[in-house]
Amino acid sequence: MSMVRALISRLAPLLACLGLLGVWQVAALVLNNDSFPTALDALRAVPSILGDKESLINIGASLRRMSIAFSVALVVSIPLGLMMGRSRFVAAFFNPLLMITYPVPKAALMPIIMLWLGVGDIAKMLVIFLGVSLPVIYHSFQGAKAVEEKMLWSGAAMGLTALQRMIRIVLPAALPEILTGCRTGLVLALITMVTSEMIARQSGAGNILFNALDMGQYDTVYAMIIIIGAMGIGIDAAFEKLRAWLVRWSEPGFDIPLSFA
Amino acid sequence: MNARGLTTDVLLGVVPIALAVAVWQAISSFGYAPVTLLPPPGLVFARLAQQLLTSSSYQQAIAVTLFRLFAGFSIAVVLGVGVGLAAAASPAVNAVVRPIVRVLAPLPKVALYPALLLLLGFGHESKITLVAADALFPILLSTYFGASMVEQKLIWSAMAAGTPRRQILFKVVLPAAVPSILTGCRIGLVISCIVVFLAEMITSTEGLGHLLVTAARTFQAVDMFVPLITISLLGLILNGLLQGLRVWLLRGFPEV
Amino acid sequence: MIEIDRVSQIFQTSGRQNHLALSQISLTIDDGAFVAILGPSGCGKSTLLYIVGGFVNPTEGIARMKGKPIAGPGPDRGPVFQEFALFPWKTVLGNVMYGPRQLRVKSAEAEAQSRQLIEMVGLKGFEDFYPKELSGGMKQRVALARTLAYHPAVLLMDEPFGALDAHTRTRLQNDLLNIWERDRKTVLFVTHSVDEAVFLSDKVVVMTRAPGRIKEIVDINLPRPRRRADLLLDPRYQKYVVEIERMIDDTSEDGLRP
Repeated sequence: MSMVRALISRLAPLLACLGLLGVWQVAALVLNNDSFPTALDALRAVPSILGDKESLINIGASLRRMSIAFSVALVVSIPLGLMMGRSRFVAAFFNPLLMITYPVPKAALMPIIMLWLGVGDIAKMLVIFLGVSLPVIYHSFQGAKAVEEKMLWSGAAMGLTALQRMIRIVLPAALPEILTGCRTGLVLALITMVTSEMIARQSGAGNILFNALDMGQYDTVYAMIIIIGAMGIGIDAAFEKLRAWLVRWSEPGFDIPLSFA
Repeated sequence: MNARGLTTDVLLGVVPIALAVAVWQAISSFGYAPVTLLPPPGLVFARLAQQLLTSSSYQQAIAVTLFRLFAGFSIAVVLGVGVGLAAAASPAVNAVVRPIVRVLAPLPKVALYPALLLLLGFGHESKITLVAADALFPILLSTYFGASMVEQKLIWSAMAAGTPRRQILFKVVLPAAVPSILTGCRIGLVISCIVVFLAEMITSTEGLGHLLVTAARTFQAVDMFVPLITISLLGLILNGLLQGLRVWLLRGFPEV
Repeated sequence: MIEIDRVSQIFQTSGRQNHLALSQISLTIDDGAFVAILGPSGCGKSTLLYIVGGFVNPTEGIARMKGKPIAGPGPDRGPVFQEFALFPWKTVLGNVMYGPRQLRVKSAEAEAQSRQLIEMVGLKGFEDFYPKELSGGMKQRVALARTLAYHPAVLLMDEPFGALDAHTRTRLQNDLLNIWERDRKTVLFVTHSVDEAVFLSDKVVVMTRAPGRIKEIVDINLPRPRRRADLLLDPRYQKYVVEIERMIDDTSEDGLRP
């Protein structure tokens, strides 16, 4: 009996997906509105999008931009956050600046950045970079701050220099929290990417979405939503597996999976 | 931290901001960038002040944006706290809600925006719905976790004092979960600020985001900065207010 | 007043194994008795208390209060926990008034009663403080006042002084006895400290380590009121402590025998 239960809980997300799609289907049939195609119609449009070479290039470009910007953001933000966590000086220096820029939607900087850098990849990557940096810095900061002083003292007694302590003690100890920040950043990267493409139409998944909207191809619009949604869920699930493996030694805390615009 | 330490910190924190503004000023004064691309800070802040204080259409835009923000945020709070509590209290609700949240949470809700536009039109409703959808999950999750981690002994103490089972949720679990709920609300509030602005940028006929996009189309650089700074300030102010509320509501709780 | 009839408790641990915490416990507790439940860690003594409190249902057997089976928590059996379990969003006064208000006592009357109790536990002047502003000993006093406020017939105390330093502990032990002397409620007091058990109670129930069984029940024939300074030098007290400590040593070895 409990095996059935275990199986059900494993499949639960899948069941939830199917359930939501079911609700969509019924609602669409009931509302019978041109601009609200049924789930099945949308799903049927998905293969044609994925099969279309141009769309694939667009989506590929989106993902490429996202990965590069994300990686660069990590390389910059994690050390910065760690240093902020261990040095009151550094923290006091950067904190207010970060607090002010926090509520600014990075994707909203798109027009300004476009003004300066044109509509190319760099502009979009810069925006994604900015969007990802903040949560990663914040979580690295928190994680580093929480590292027990006594652990560092033990390291110092063993002869580790300050830099060594940072890399060999603070970094691993703060890793669970850092990875939480990365997960948030990843979701944000995807969202910022889509949003910036919606604002600065030129290429990418968001562009496909709004083109279809303009041209009244409603099935494509919803199909694209499903695709982007699937990308989001897939990336998040994959990262979560990686994260769980990397910090399998840590005690379970809870993190709030976040979804920003 | 003593008063001296605090002042040093504040002064230190002002430095990068002052530095950034100084660099900004320098770039414009030395002509490294044309005025059309990067107007000098003085011009921007003057325009900001003028719009805020004298322009009723600008004030109107702020009101529209704020209205959508609050409407969406309030819906998210009511739904998030309600469902979060229900999921913590009832295993049946939990079993249904949990997988749905796991599926929907990592979804970029902004991808739904076109659908919302199709269904609800280009006015307030689509923006409010998007805001609510995005702000909902952090609030729901933090409520759920806060409620499910309430100390068992607190509940037992209340039960022994005669509290019937059905009242435990509101008399013990909810108050004890308030710190967690407020954390979720803070995140939700920031998200609301961001989302409303972005939604207005993507398509709208009014509001701060719309003003930015309009200025971009007409190459009015100064008028692009002004709404951006405004939303930033609004975010800061709202955040500060929420923090104040938090301090007052949690005056009895030990520091975490 | 309280009857524990062949109670056993099995817990499922995370490894899906069954852990027998209590085994066939039978015990009768008289009205007005101060009974200590003593034993090494893991002997199930807290579990026994929770069963009497109605917070946990026994796997086997039944616990009765005044002849009626115990079905759940209630104001006739008031707990005082080691972790204090005070409501952090209420002041001292708010916490103590909680029980009476729950029992529909009018606000003014509840407040007056509560203030009296707060004074009785020695916290006059602290009514508007929040728990976070109090020391451990003070918090425990509030917890005691909060439970006394709804006049339970039985006090269930779960290692209430375990989280406090030695000095505060002895003070609170004295204060507890002084308060108890007033109306002599029935008290079930769980502890792992032998001298605390002997000092406070009329009867000490010595338990073995898991699976918890009653090894022995020792009647403590020491006169009341009990003064710590006098008792520490009293050979009868010393004899009880030595005797019971030997019992506990024996039970600790029980677990090692094949």
